[in-house]
Amino acid sequence: MDAEIVVNTDIKQKDSRHALVIAIEHCAFFDQNGDWEPKSSNTASEVLSHGPAISFIKAIQRVNHKLMEKNPNETFLFDVILICNNQIPENQSKIVTSAKHYGLEISRFCFCNDASFTNSMLSNNVKLFLSTNRDDIVKTQERGLPAALLCKQVAQEAVDQLKFLFIGDSLGIPEDLKGEMFNVNQPHSLQITQASLKELVAVIGQMRSKFGQDDSPLRTCLVTLWSPRDVCVRALKTFRDWGMEVEEAYCLAGTPPSAILAQIQPHVLCGDGLYHMRDVAALS
Amino acid sequence: MSLDSVNAATAQEAGPCPAVNATTNGDSLSSWEEPKGLYHQNASTKNSGVVRRARKVEGGIFFPKPENAVTIAVSSRVLFRTEKEDIVFREKGVEEYLNYQVEHEMEPFAPGPAFPFIKALEAVNTRLRDLYPDSEELFDIVLVTYNHAHVGVRLINTINYHNLFIERFCMTGGSSPIGYLKAFHTNLYLSADSEKVREALAEGIAAATMFTPDKLTEVSETQLRVAFDGDAVLFSDESERIYKAHGLDKFFEHEKEHENKLLDHGPLKGFLEALGKLQKKFYAKGHRLDCPIRTYLVTARSAASSGIRALKTLRAWGLETDEALFLAGAPKGPMLEKIRPHIYFDDQMFHVKGAAEMGTIAAHVPYGIAQKYPHKKDMGKAK
Repeated sequence: MDAEIVVNTDIKQKDSRHALVIAIEHCAFFDQNGDWEPKSSNTASEVLSHGPAISFIKAIQRVNHKLMEKNPNETFLFDVILICNNQIPENQSKIVTSAKHYGLEISRFCFCNDASFTNSMLSNNVKLFLSTNRDDIVKTQERGLPAALLCKQVAQEAVDQLKFLFIGDSLGIPEDLKGEMFNVNQPHSLQITQASLKELVAVIGQMRSKFGQDDSPLRTCLVTLWSPRDVCVRALKTFRDWGMEVEEAYCLAGTPPSAILAQIQPHVLCGDGLYHMRDVAALS
Repeated sequence: MSLDSVNAATAQEAGPCPAVNATTNGDSLSSWEEPKGLYHQNASTKNSGVVRRARKVEGGIFFPKPENAVTIAVSSRVLFRTEKEDIVFREKGVEEYLNYQVEHEMEPFAPGPAFPFIKALEAVNTRLRDLYPDSEELFDIVLVTYNHAHVGVRLINTINYHNLFIERFCMTGGSSPIGYLKAFHTNLYLSADSEKVREALAEGIAAATMFTPDKLTEVSETQLRVAFDGDAVLFSDESERIYKAHGLDKFFEHEKEHENKLLDHGPLKGFLEALGKLQKKFYAKGHRLDCPIRTYLVTARSAASSGIRALKTLRAWGLETDEALFLAGAPKGPMLEKIRPHIYFDDQMFHVKGAAEMGTIAAHVPYGIAQKYPHKKDMGKAK
């Protein structure tokens, strides 16, 4: 099946040449095990009721709102699309109905399969793929596309700021040592993911710089999990060169990360490198 | 422990006390060049990943797990002197402040009041590593600051410049650091901000506000010396309450009646306990006489009367201090000046200020009844 795009007619479409498009995998809209089978007890409109994506979209909406406050004709906004692999046709309409029911600002729904996935991402100008399923994130990264983890919010109260957390361990390592530190296959995929990470950082950094220090609806953080402090500092400088001045930085140097990550409470966790994922089990 | 009411510091020091680098208030040191290698000189065999001063373990670096180590969280304003920058923040706001910090990124900060304490912790760690190379029971120092990560580069540059062994840090960019203190299993938190210290105490974390002493005194670089007030620091403030409410006579009566009843514990009891555990590791290897950790109780209690309850309590807790100084109300300043602790904890600002005036590095523990009723300036009363 080729990709099918359903446009959400309830909301105004963004200018996709200038918008920052984020694709969220459908499983992020459901609780826990990402089981996309809607329960039979749910009415059609209640299918998308929980899941980390909801609080994420609300935080995104707040950023867009503030950007529009500054400039009503702003085109550099977040644009969220929902992406669904291997979805059976009957459920497609349920998903669309439910999104409209909850007033979620999802501008398009993309139903595709494995074969058409990469093309769908590229043709929609997606800058970031978000999911709660780590295997899907890894697969997407392996295809050279930027992908990150959409995190469960621990606290019940709404977290107002949209928070991006970047894992910077590999960023701070100098080029000549990279070959030694990782096994043979990884440096190559690392380069691909770093290139797309750089683009992502640049564009989020750009958006962040539209706001001042106080009262920004967007917040960026850097964490290094196992590196010494010099690596963390180098990562900070790299981010700065790429256009993002992060606000929070944590150098854990081997401290078990779950309590600290839970404290940071990011919405999105961007880690380059597959080996990081096992450390952050607490967040998904 | 000695029961003499006035005790000169015993001569247990290991050799002369070299001076701590004293740099003058607020002056920026000249900028320096980036260190040549990324890693320390000892780094380097062809298979090594990153090597730090301690040792390498299979492609990683050996850092103790927070729950095994004695974790000291210190804020940037007490580790370094940041007066100039604080003024910029207060007068010009956060944007200007951050710009200023970034502009001066290559200029290291001068050492602050907690600096000698941190250096002394490192000296103890070196000795612990010699005796117990595989142990995780060490001091682990974490920089926990309210500052934005923009300042991070300057802070790390400064840590590099002063050759401090701090690998863990949290720059919370304005969010409360308290949750992070817990996540790091913090045993002691030192900050310049009394509000944060209070919050930490309320969460059961030992904490104190540090102040820069008026004059710099030399402290030992080889022996860590920690001095504690008794009531409302090691012990609860129950006796303090009696004294404030009913006066000195009632206090004596109460203490006599309850001589055999243990005092409740105060916010820094846990920290003394942690120090005691490390001390025992030195004793076990025959280093009782030249132990690089020395603890002092400096209390206004009187040895012959109210002090007994304090000692019995410590004993029952299985704790001891190397020296106990019962001042019976005499001023603490001169005694502390003789001891030269790296840090002295007291719940009363009056004592903290007095100590600082004489050059002692003092920290305020804002706990208990004394916070509501400041010290009456009547010096001659014995307690």
